Amino acid sequence: MANQSGRIYGLTILSPILQSDTIDISHATALRWYLASLPRDHTSPFARVSSTHFARLVVMDDVVFVGAPACEEHLKSRYLVFETNFDGDLDIYLTRMAREIPDFVDSVWKHCVGYPGVADPAAFAAYMKKCQIETTFFFADVNDKTVQQTLKALQLQSALAHFIEKHQGKPAAEIQNSFLVLLDRLAKVPAPLPGGIDSEKTAAEDRPHE
Amino acid sequence: MSEIDVSDIQGFALKGYNFPFARYLLLELLHPEAAQRFVGQILQYLTTGERWDEKPTITVNIAFTHKGLVQLELPEPTLLSFPVEFQQGMKARGQILYDTGKNGPEHWEPAWRDNRVHVWLAVNAQTPVALDEQCDLLLRIMDQTSGAKLLQAQDACAVFIDGKPTPKEHFGYTDGFGNPDFKGAERDCVPGQGKLTKNGTWEALATGEFLLGYADEAGELPVAPIPHLLARNGTFMVYRKMHQNVATFRTFLEEQGRLYPGGKEKLASKFVGRWRDGTPVELSPDHMDAALVADKNRNTNFTYGKDLNGLRCPVGAHIRRGNPRDALGFNGELVNRRRIMRRGLPYGKYVPEGQPVRDEDEHGIIFMALNASLFRQFEFVQQQWIEYGNDLHQGNDKDLVIGNHGGKGKCVLQGTTDPQNPPFICANLPRFVELRGGDYFFMPSLTALQMMASGTVDPR
Repeated sequence: MANQSGRIYGLTILSPILQSDTIDISHATALRWYLASLPRDHTSPFARVSSTHFARLVVMDDVVFVGAPACEEHLKSRYLVFETNFDGDLDIYLTRMAREIPDFVDSVWKHCVGYPGVADPAAFAAYMKKCQIETTFFFADVNDKTVQQTLKALQLQSALAHFIEKHQGKPAAEIQNSFLVLLDRLAKVPAPLPGGIDSEKTAAEDRPHE
Repeated sequence: MSEIDVSDIQGFALKGYNFPFARYLLLELLHPEAAQRFVGQILQYLTTGERWDEKPTITVNIAFTHKGLVQLELPEPTLLSFPVEFQQGMKARGQILYDTGKNGPEHWEPAWRDNRVHVWLAVNAQTPVALDEQCDLLLRIMDQTSGAKLLQAQDACAVFIDGKPTPKEHFGYTDGFGNPDFKGAERDCVPGQGKLTKNGTWEALATGEFLLGYADEAGELPVAPIPHLLARNGTFMVYRKMHQNVATFRTFLEEQGRLYPGGKEKLASKFVGRWRDGTPVELSPDHMDAALVADKNRNTNFTYGKDLNGLRCPVGAHIRRGNPRDALGFNGELVNRRRIMRRGLPYGKYVPEGQPVRDEDEHGIIFMALNASLFRQFEFVQQQWIEYGNDLHQGNDKDLVIGNHGGKGKCVLQGTTDPQNPPFICANLPRFVELRGGDYFFMPSLTALQMMASGTVDPR
């Protein structure tokens, strides 16, 4: 089914960008600058919408003419392209965007035609759905596990690799005892925060059995 | 394409000479006119790809960095038409190649660090005497023409054991098995060395994967400088001087080997994908097999498609990273444009196992690889498969042997429930290999060299 790959929802939005002859810097340029300034690590706004696997924002000026035999075509407007892969339902996700990162959403979509603001999350969701086009390609590394499951799995993998490295070759009983301790601690330790796992940090700080 | 003009192609680009001695004269070119004279004089000594009736005692080959071509005053439109990575040189590509930290240029030998090398002039020889004689002759030509100055003479030499040259390197592995076959090259296609076909047989790769001016695996001409005549029958070479921390490697193998139930030699085989005698682990996971090593129809003839989980040859083993064959699916097609032609020889004194050895002694390997596109072939392999592991489902684990670890790396050796073949994890990996310098070179055809020597390279 389009827009849905297993449990993952793929959202693609094309929002027309405002045109104005009366300002010094066009909306498209201002938006491009703003997007370029956004952090991509754990401080990314999308880290706060914690069901996001992947999100991308691009200013699309026009379709690129690649030469004959292609025919030359143009868009009627510049567009903001917003792509995201996330867990769960579309309405919930859009509502979370409106509620959890309203300043960011405002800073981006204020440059777009017909943006109603985020004060009314339902109106924002309706606007976004109006701009929605079908998603048929998904981020390849998302393998039908939720963000939380993925983070937990990475944490587990790192902890287990470290455990094996520390204990391989030791007597079975000793390994078993240590493994039970590891399991117990792993069950209690919270999943890493969204926004990217730093493997070195994970290795150094998230070793629950030490 | 049926034949290529082997008399126009430098022999080094076409075949591994398999000579025990080599010296790489690293030169700085001087005044452009004198440098052109020097190239003109050298031409007559160059070894081409022509078939040998009798193996010569020496070979001579030459290649240029972009700075060298600038010094030769090639026309600007020609200089600007070379691929960007070659124009930039290997030092500037450090972030892409992960040549950082201890492998960074600040730790390189001065000639490489200061970007002074213009020319790689290589002599391979059967004997040390022949090597010295030929190098003396070449140095005299440099003097007579005043065209070039010797910055450094890098000696390389096969590891001798019991007075005989061997294909061993300093960590004790038998090296240099196989290279990709390509169409037009003299030798027959050896099973396991070209590209895998749908029916499981092997055939030669497109010529344009290794020589400029011919169609490559995509049916396109590789990116090449103008004019066409300058590029055709030439190729690009990467040169890397890789110091080996022999003591660190041996201690690590000894310590981990004591923990590994299969024992030290089996562990060594899992690191590389070959036992140290050269037996492919994929074909013989439990023991060395001298007959298999000696059989050229079998010693590179294997695939990983039935061992996707790495139970025989670990997924991250050195030779499986460098050439994953069919391990990435699609019947092996994903690797056909990522192949490199390896050349190289060890340098420094070989210390047999069990004898005292120090990391800081001068020993390592001069790694050279030839390809039509440094960007698409060498750089991709180095960045994605050696210094990273995602394609191979190894996360950000690097190649155990040559990865730039710095004490933090880890490597997973997959295994089975067999007590002799358990899964094993190596962690806190040190740098077994450190980069001491190198660069990207253009290895022109004889025709191109004549044009360069006579100042008749015409990009119009």
